[in-house]
Amino acid sequence: MKKTRHVNPKRLAGDVVRHLVLFALAVVWLVPIVWLVCTSFSSNPGRNILRFFPESLTLSNYARLFTDTDSVSNFPAWFTNTFIVACFTCVISTLFVLMVAYATSCMRFRGRRVLMNVGVLLGLFPGFLTMICIYYILKELKLTDTHLGLILVYAGSSGLGYLIAKGFFDTISRSMIDAAKLDGASEAEVFWKVILPLSKPIIVYTIISSFLTPWMDFIFSNIIIKSRLSEDWTVAVGLFNMLNKSSVNNYFSRFCAGGVLVSIPISVLFVIMQKFYVEGVTGGSVKG
Amino acid sequence: MQQPLWLCSCVLSVCACAAQPEAENPVTETAAPTPAQTEAAPAEKPSITLTLWGSELPEFQAALRTMCDNFIAANANEANITIEIGAQSESTAKDTILLDISAAADVFYYADDQTGELVNAGALQPVENADAIAAANGGAEAGAVLAATVGGKLYAYPAMGGNGYFLYYNKQYVTAEQAGSWAGILEAASAAGKKATMQLNSGWYLYGFFKGAGFGCALAEDGTSTTCDWNTTGGTDVMQAILDVSTNPGFINLDDAAFVTGVQEGTVVAGVNGSWNAGTVQTAWGENYACTKLPTFTLGGSEVQMGSFDGYKLVGVNAYSENVGWAMRLAEWLTNEENQIFLYEATNGSAVPSNVNAASSESVQANPVVAALATQSQFASAQSLSVGGNYWTPTETLGNILAQGNPDGTALQQLLDETVAGITAPVG
Repeated sequence: MKKTRHVNPKRLAGDVVRHLVLFALAVVWLVPIVWLVCTSFSSNPGRNILRFFPESLTLSNYARLFTDTDSVSNFPAWFTNTFIVACFTCVISTLFVLMVAYATSCMRFRGRRVLMNVGVLLGLFPGFLTMICIYYILKELKLTDTHLGLILVYAGSSGLGYLIAKGFFDTISRSMIDAAKLDGASEAEVFWKVILPLSKPIIVYTIISSFLTPWMDFIFSNIIIKSRLSEDWTVAVGLFNMLNKSSVNNYFSRFCAGGVLVSIPISVLFVIMQKFYVEGVTGGSVKG
Repeated sequence: MQQPLWLCSCVLSVCACAAQPEAENPVTETAAPTPAQTEAAPAEKPSITLTLWGSELPEFQAALRTMCDNFIAANANEANITIEIGAQSESTAKDTILLDISAAADVFYYADDQTGELVNAGALQPVENADAIAAANGGAEAGAVLAATVGGKLYAYPAMGGNGYFLYYNKQYVTAEQAGSWAGILEAASAAGKKATMQLNSGWYLYGFFKGAGFGCALAEDGTSTTCDWNTTGGTDVMQAILDVSTNPGFINLDDAAFVTGVQEGTVVAGVNGSWNAGTVQTAWGENYACTKLPTFTLGGSEVQMGSFDGYKLVGVNAYSENVGWAMRLAEWLTNEENQIFLYEATNGSAVPSNVNAASSESVQANPVVAALATQSQFASAQSLSVGGNYWTPTETLGNILAQGNPDGTALQQLLDETVAGITAPVG
């Protein structure tokens, strides 16, 4: 008797339902993004809530973001400010995270457990709980309205996010570290010459997440940047201020264009490092 | 709830001591004591640095720069003044200032609903020559002055008036006579297959019907709660009158963004809105653009004029300023008659003067928005003096029910009782 591939109708129905649900979720998730991109090409500078796709398209919103700088919109300056802060934060906090992870994973010292537990506990509190306190500390140090102030805030507590990197380091064989130490390597040498070369995926993951925090943050930059001069703002603060009732009719599509542009550096970073990113997260979570 | 607070029309006037044209005789316009007068030897002028926050719009910023430069020039023989101008929307000024008053600007523009909180926080320096300022702006009982007064003390310099609402209409579809009443407007809109609009589900606009019918709200003695008599006899007639409008096929309930879109798309031919959208509406309707006071509505068979809220923008001086004297002189300079007219012209009519003489000047009176607001102001009451914090949510709920035509058929008296209970609930 000829054997036919039989499709179980029950299973088929289940698949259909599952895919419909996934499709619905995808639509819900994608619609705002598609709308943002479409509106960023709209020739109407303000809002039009009756149309999903703009009546006519133009690139001028993007061009004007860079050419028309005024008291509401100063995108080149915002982009530069944010980029500077994000780059420095990225370097500093990547180092912090990896070093803390190394210390907690590969070194043995008194109080290590307690320190780790305290770190995890502190990490459970949302960072903005401390924002008023941080603001006044920075003010006393005359660091409000400065890039340095923002970098300190973003990088300062980043070491607490060490858990995933520690999980990754835990997977590296102890015998390699022991061997290096027998050969006379110091902790620093072990860290730089043994552990780091073996940890590319988690380094990449740490770099990306360290870059994203300052790049997308609104809360702290809005508090710490007190200046009301548009050239001093970061991208998040600047874009938010574009939506004031008096300016929204003239700036809304430029706001959308700005929103699209902000996502470009992140997307580029992701595309380049995607392969490592996945390895980093999964590798780090084996024991983490 | 934050209400729209842009632009303005109104009344109010000239301060004798602040009204000198810049370079003529700068020394005579001194209002407040200044460090310069007490300590500076003629040879050594003090260096004064001031910060000023005003609307973020480029035309406002440019106008502020010009006024500040004139101020610097006018006082050049007394001090070397530097003025830094920041962009801070008036409607959210309070939020930024109260976060850290000592880091806020020396002089700032803000909307009048923030006076109470700014005074409570000790952020505002009382005005020294209050009588002259009040007189220039229409006297102690004028809306703009009351909006800057707390406990009998004047805390800010009135800068702009007319932050209220009125009727826009498209002359192609609605005649001036039809624009006088909701019945006429709705008839014209239905006949053309278009819509007339107003945002009923906002306490800011909904107030207009009750105010017009003689009902009222007022700030309670605690300064934050509201008293309200909407549910007394006759209140249900107002409800019925609103339902008659909202259920008319020519009516549509639209919020601010939808109003702008409707005007641009051509589906809306008349609407109640404020001066902040004047430019957009004018561009969309071109020659057919017109505006006027709010229409009348039919209440129990007779026509009643709608009332409205009015709002103001004020210039405050930071009580923590290191140069309070100079800051007060700058605030007074910015709000004098000449500069109010200058700001009005520089912003294409969005900064409607509060100064009485400035408001009655020719160029100001020629503007249809100002004319509409000025006419409407007779039927308006100042928002900051009328309602407290708990006014907004219950009225929005009531407005939603009315906008949908009371779909559940709830007794109107019951709806009113519930709304008033919410409005008058103590704050805190």
